[in-house]
Amino acid sequence: MKRLFLPALCLILIVLAIYPIKGTGYGVRFMLQLFMWIALAQSWNLISGLTGYVSFGHIAFFGMGAYTAGILIVKLGWPWLWASLAGGVGAVVLALVIGWPCLRLKGPYFAIAMLGLNEVLRVAVSYFEGLTGGGSGLSLPALYASVPIYYAMGLVALAVTGLTYVIVTSRFGLRLMTIREDEVAAEAMGIDTFRYKLYAFLLSAVGPGIVGGLAARDQSYIEPISVFPLIMTITMIVMVLFGGKGTIWGPVLGAVLLFTLQEMIWARFIYLHQLLFGAIIITVVLLMPRGILGVLQQKYNLPRTI
Amino acid sequence: MLGQVIISGLLAGALYSMVALGLGLIFGVMRVLNVSHGPLLMLGAYTTFWLFQSFGLNPYLSLLVTMPVLFVVGMVLQRLFVSRVVDAPELSSLLLTFGISIALVNLAQLAFTADLRSVEYLTGSFVLGPFAFSKSRVIACAFAIVITTGAFLFLKMTRLGKAIRAVSQSREVAQVCGVNVARIHMIAFGIGSALAAAGGTLVAVMVAIQPEMGQVYTFKSFLVIVLGGAGNYPGALLGGLLLGLIEQGSSLFLTTQVNEAVAYILLVLVLLVRPTGLLKGRA
Amino acid sequence: MEALLEVDRVIKRFGGVTAVSAVSLSLEAGHIYGLIGPNGSGKTTLFNCITGVEAIDGGEIRFKGRRIDGLKPHQVFHQGIGRTFQVIRVFPELTALENLLVVTTNDYAAARARAEELLGFVKLTGLAGEFAGNLSYGQQKLVEFVRVLMTDPELILLDETAAGVNRTLLNDLLEAVRTLRDRGKTVLLVEHDMKMVMGLCETVFVLDHGEKLAEGPPGLIQTDERVIEAYFGR
Repeated sequence: MKRLFLPALCLILIVLAIYPIKGTGYGVRFMLQLFMWIALAQSWNLISGLTGYVSFGHIAFFGMGAYTAGILIVKLGWPWLWASLAGGVGAVVLALVIGWPCLRLKGPYFAIAMLGLNEVLRVAVSYFEGLTGGGSGLSLPALYASVPIYYAMGLVALAVTGLTYVIVTSRFGLRLMTIREDEVAAEAMGIDTFRYKLYAFLLSAVGPGIVGGLAARDQSYIEPISVFPLIMTITMIVMVLFGGKGTIWGPVLGAVLLFTLQEMIWARFIYLHQLLFGAIIITVVLLMPRGILGVLQQKYNLPRTI
Repeated sequence: MLGQVIISGLLAGALYSMVALGLGLIFGVMRVLNVSHGPLLMLGAYTTFWLFQSFGLNPYLSLLVTMPVLFVVGMVLQRLFVSRVVDAPELSSLLLTFGISIALVNLAQLAFTADLRSVEYLTGSFVLGPFAFSKSRVIACAFAIVITTGAFLFLKMTRLGKAIRAVSQSREVAQVCGVNVARIHMIAFGIGSALAAAGGTLVAVMVAIQPEMGQVYTFKSFLVIVLGGAGNYPGALLGGLLLGLIEQGSSLFLTTQVNEAVAYILLVLVLLVRPTGLLKGRA
Repeated sequence: MEALLEVDRVIKRFGGVTAVSAVSLSLEAGHIYGLIGPNGSGKTTLFNCITGVEAIDGGEIRFKGRRIDGLKPHQVFHQGIGRTFQVIRVFPELTALENLLVVTTNDYAAARARAEELLGFVKLTGLAGEFAGNLSYGQQKLVEFVRVLMTDPELILLDETAAGVNRTLLNDLLEAVRTLRDRGKTVLLVEHDMKMVMGLCETVFVLDHGEKLAEGPPGLIQTDERVIEAYFGR
């Protein structure tokens, strides 16, 4: 089983790489968004799945990336690829500003502080109206670039997944997990939990920052409501919980399953679909706290690093 | 000017205190951070709206309906869901109540749509010398004081109230003394929800009702608990009044929009400086 | 000889309760010390103060002449002090081996070798790949015990290591503690098992209601009236 895995993965990657040549416009956009969600879910997993510090405001980094890239494109005429990377940098800076004070708080208090983050940022966006266009949003010059963005998103998704693999199989990752398991014991064993949490937090902001920039370019329009919506945070969380938090492939699995379902069925019934997400969270927490991968791990005795 | 601000602050603060007491009870008794506290308040507001619209029921009288109804809803939620994560790591109860809050908000959206509703019952202000206060605020404050006092008398004097306080302090000891802890958990969640509902009813007369209205109250209730000290019930009172005063005070210097961020910044500051609360509390 | 650890009139309050009241003790390298006292006398709190889990409200704590009060727990650890906990704190979702590997920061190969050596020391080699949460109570205790030894700390604080452990395992632990002492390490243990304390420790400190009641060799402590009163009298 294990030996089939790598070739199968390579095959999938090759198929994905050549898909845009054959795929329809809709198909390319579908996959592009799927990649985005994989990157988002995987990033959320890095902080919340591994360290257990629930980041309720993670979408803030997406929004930060979007605005950074958007402003660079509109005001300074940067090419979108560089602007998006700068979006990643912007997100990391924001993560540093937020994380430095907030990660000193214990888990539950950190979560509460993050709950309010969205609101603070929305306020900040309207305050700096000159730069961000305030409530009426920011428009980018029109550009049809679905295919290049497809590849860009795909690369980010791949990179974040790769990063997760490296972390989960390293001692750095083990130490992050000890924070989740027992922070007091971790400290007693010499682990500077604040520093580790901060690193994880910063790393978890890069993905959302870059894809935020890419998404802004793709939509050609940024609106505060659309880049800081609670539903995006909820979706990230559900994808990771459902797939399996703290694992490498869990977030990918969750993203693929839930996004597909979302596009095929639920997008038409938006409140029903959000309600279902709430129900999924409740079900997962009560019945399968380690997600689908967790269930499979237990049933087939799979290693923890999958 | 200053007098106006102080009294406005206290008026608003009383309401915060009552709602936060509900959250504080749930946290004190079960160590659960109830993210769905705001949505419960929202349900109280919608119930009041519905009763007002369908039967013309005086919104203040509807307290007699919303509080018991949400008390039962709270107990059911606790029995079905929350009870299963009381001993799990706090992450679980956080995510669970988060899931419940999403479910409640979207149920409301399905039932009532996202259109803004309001209860047009009381307008105008009381004028007292140089001060003017909106009538609905004053009456809300009055009811909040009555209800909160009732809650405290209940906690101090009745056997059930004492049992709740016992469980808040030490679950094991309470159990050994014959307290049915599972029942206390249910009741505490019920009371917490009822207090949130009362907040919703009182607020329904003052603000626009929409499914997401509760979120800001969840957050502010957390802030009050942190200000007053987790598990410190009288502290919640002071915390609420303090929050009311700070908000009204800062509105003198800041634009309305930025003022909304005050609560959040305050929370982070307090958590960093004195995580156990400004008054005595347990972490 | 300069003391390894000096607890100098340390005070710790929780609200209105004084959990540790001007306690002073002095530990010299290469000895086994015991810390006993009735429940609630402040033993674990004192441990927490020494290891930085709790900030002290008065007094000083010095390790090898340097002040360590005010340091964060992970910093205290790196000074050379290791501890176990009263309630077992292994990392349940990590394997036994991983529980040990998270500790050291030097190169992986050396850490792994040491971890395997320590697991062998307590006869748990076969369970190295088992999730710590799946191990038995006694096995978890052993994992927590050797985890402390990963970085070869000079001072080891053991909090009720004997609690709930069967006789055979207990003897292994006692042997391990004596071996540590013979290698020049210093051990301070909190225990309720009087036989163990009296048989193992060279000097015993007695705490009661946060104050140091008595200090001396086991034989003397056993017959000290104040100690007997603290345990049985009131």
